[in-house]
Amino acid sequence: MTTAQDLPEGASLAAHERTAQFFEGGRRRKREIVTPEGVPVTVEIADYGERLVAFTIDFVIWTLLTFAVYIPVLALIGKAGGILIAISIALFFGFLVRNLYFIYFELAWQGATPGKRIVGLRVIDHGGGPLIPSAVIARNLTREVEMFIPLGVLLQGGQSINGAVDWKELATAAWLLFSLAIPVINRDRMRGGDLIAGTMVVSLPKRVLSSDLVERALRFTFTPAQLRAYGAFELQVLEELLRRPHNPETARVLDEVCDKICRKIGWSNPLSRQDVIAFLRDFYTAERAFLEREQLYGKSRPDKYTGPAASA
Amino acid sequence: MTQTADAIGERLIANPELDVAPGAGRPKLVLKSREFRNGREQGWRELDELVRRVERRGVRSLSLDELQRLPILYRAALSSLAVARTIALDRNLLLYLENLALRAYLAVYGPRLSPGAGLRAFFVHDLPAAVRAARWHILVATLALLVGVAVGFILTVQDEAWFSSFMPAAMAGGRGPSSTAASLRDKELFAPWPGAVEAFGVFANVLFSHNTLVGLMCFGLGLAAGIPTLMLTTYQGLGLGAFVALHYNRDLTIECLGWLSIHGTTELGALILLSAGGLVIADKILFPGRYSRIENLALHGRQAALMGVGGILMLFVAGILEGGFRQLVQSTSLRFAIGLGVGALWLIYFSRCGRGARR
Repeated sequence: MTTAQDLPEGASLAAHERTAQFFEGGRRRKREIVTPEGVPVTVEIADYGERLVAFTIDFVIWTLLTFAVYIPVLALIGKAGGILIAISIALFFGFLVRNLYFIYFELAWQGATPGKRIVGLRVIDHGGGPLIPSAVIARNLTREVEMFIPLGVLLQGGQSINGAVDWKELATAAWLLFSLAIPVINRDRMRGGDLIAGTMVVSLPKRVLSSDLVERALRFTFTPAQLRAYGAFELQVLEELLRRPHNPETARVLDEVCDKICRKIGWSNPLSRQDVIAFLRDFYTAERAFLEREQLYGKSRPDKYTGPAASA
Repeated sequence: MTQTADAIGERLIANPELDVAPGAGRPKLVLKSREFRNGREQGWRELDELVRRVERRGVRSLSLDELQRLPILYRAALSSLAVARTIALDRNLLLYLENLALRAYLAVYGPRLSPGAGLRAFFVHDLPAAVRAARWHILVATLALLVGVAVGFILTVQDEAWFSSFMPAAMAGGRGPSSTAASLRDKELFAPWPGAVEAFGVFANVLFSHNTLVGLMCFGLGLAAGIPTLMLTTYQGLGLGAFVALHYNRDLTIECLGWLSIHGTTELGALILLSAGGLVIADKILFPGRYSRIENLALHGRQAALMGVGGILMLFVAGILEGGFRQLVQSTSLRFAIGLGVGALWLIYFSRCGRGARR
């Protein structure tokens, strides 16, 4: 399920990233930004689906805005112009409204438009620097060149009735396809405007700090030999499962996990069904305390297959 | 709660062997990561709140006190992240801190300017500066256009059959070797103003039509080492030269130039700017210096993009002039005055604006 090219070296990944790949199929691409303070921070490249959803939301908003401007103007003109003029005016207002919309919000909301904010996306500088106004303006006006002006040309192209192949329209269509292909063929999923402006779109959902799962006092106790059965990766998978909302499905999974753990560590005392969660939480606490202490002593244990031998 | 945890922590530091003593009733155990979290969580939550407000309403929404707290809390969160990576195995905590540190980083080092000030800085400073930096490319693009105009003019003056080769039929609009001086004068140069709605149609047509497309192709084809850019620019010049020659042969040169100049100075300026932008791209690809070609393009792409933006803006103005003013102003001398005046304004804007007192 996980694609190897996304992971430089599987074993060297931090446990929390491996857990993310375990649960989400490892689709996320990451880049590292080193802050001026010297601490590397990981950013996640937004994926195509997220960007499409964000764009669709923005599209709906600015289309509505455009019509809000356009309909009074059209009413003012009346039927004087004919359909072609009406389309021209619509294109013009579309041009104005959408560019002001994107540029305003990306400047005012630190690289997010309403659509991007809903989905949890941000535009950031590719090198990790500040997002400067000229980059925002460049990346948005390039969208015109990439998409809307070619589309406008294609839409208006219907009037030339030659029957022959129009090289202009062919070139326009080819250009449109090329623009759409750019985000697919580069690593950071940058579209043409991002390449030119030196920006990228990252996924930055708001995360919540949940309460610590660690128990204050343990009902069950485990020996170091039992705790040595697992590593950080398994610990975090367990954490993820314990944090899931309670429902019959979760309960079933936890039961299975509990059985597996009991077999692995040779837990002999019988466990009643009601005790499963308490047992798992205690095990999680003891395991985390054990692994964190080992890690402090320089004996970190990424998963159950690797790490220091049991003889330690 | 923090105090009890600290008390337990001290006891355990005094006697670490107590940590996970197996058997022996119900041992209390302490985790470094929990202690660590208890001591710092309040600061994270405070930072989280500040960052959330900056994201919603900008840096200005913070009070002076909060503004001073922000970088302090940010550095504390960064150090928390660095520590947590080495001591904590709590996945939720690690992900939260990564996220918080990144958001705070973007808030602290984010743009300082309000949208209005950003736009002003862009137009007053960034755009003209980028254009000035490409003066050699602009010169080359202008020469390519002038060569085209000269060749197109000379050839068509001698033999009007060239006109149809240089000017696509769709663009010629019925003009050609068979046009008479009277028809050119009345139907084109001094045709009556068609009314606001029609004029607007012309305007929008300019924006989404041939010239825009050619300009953008000149720009985009810079990726193909710039030769197509120069060829296309010269070809545009050929058409223009042929157009003038057609009028020259009918003694309408001055009127024709006036008719062209009112929007032509802006439109040709846009074409030159877009071609020059294409040449900048070609230049960065052909002569990457000590970077790889792609790196160099990314490094300097913004300059080319700014020139493209400038070109699009000029096309916009050209559309307004062509649709709104060309047929409204019926006097040739006034047309010259407007065209040359606007051209001079562009020249002053791009060469002087944002330069300050320094030459």
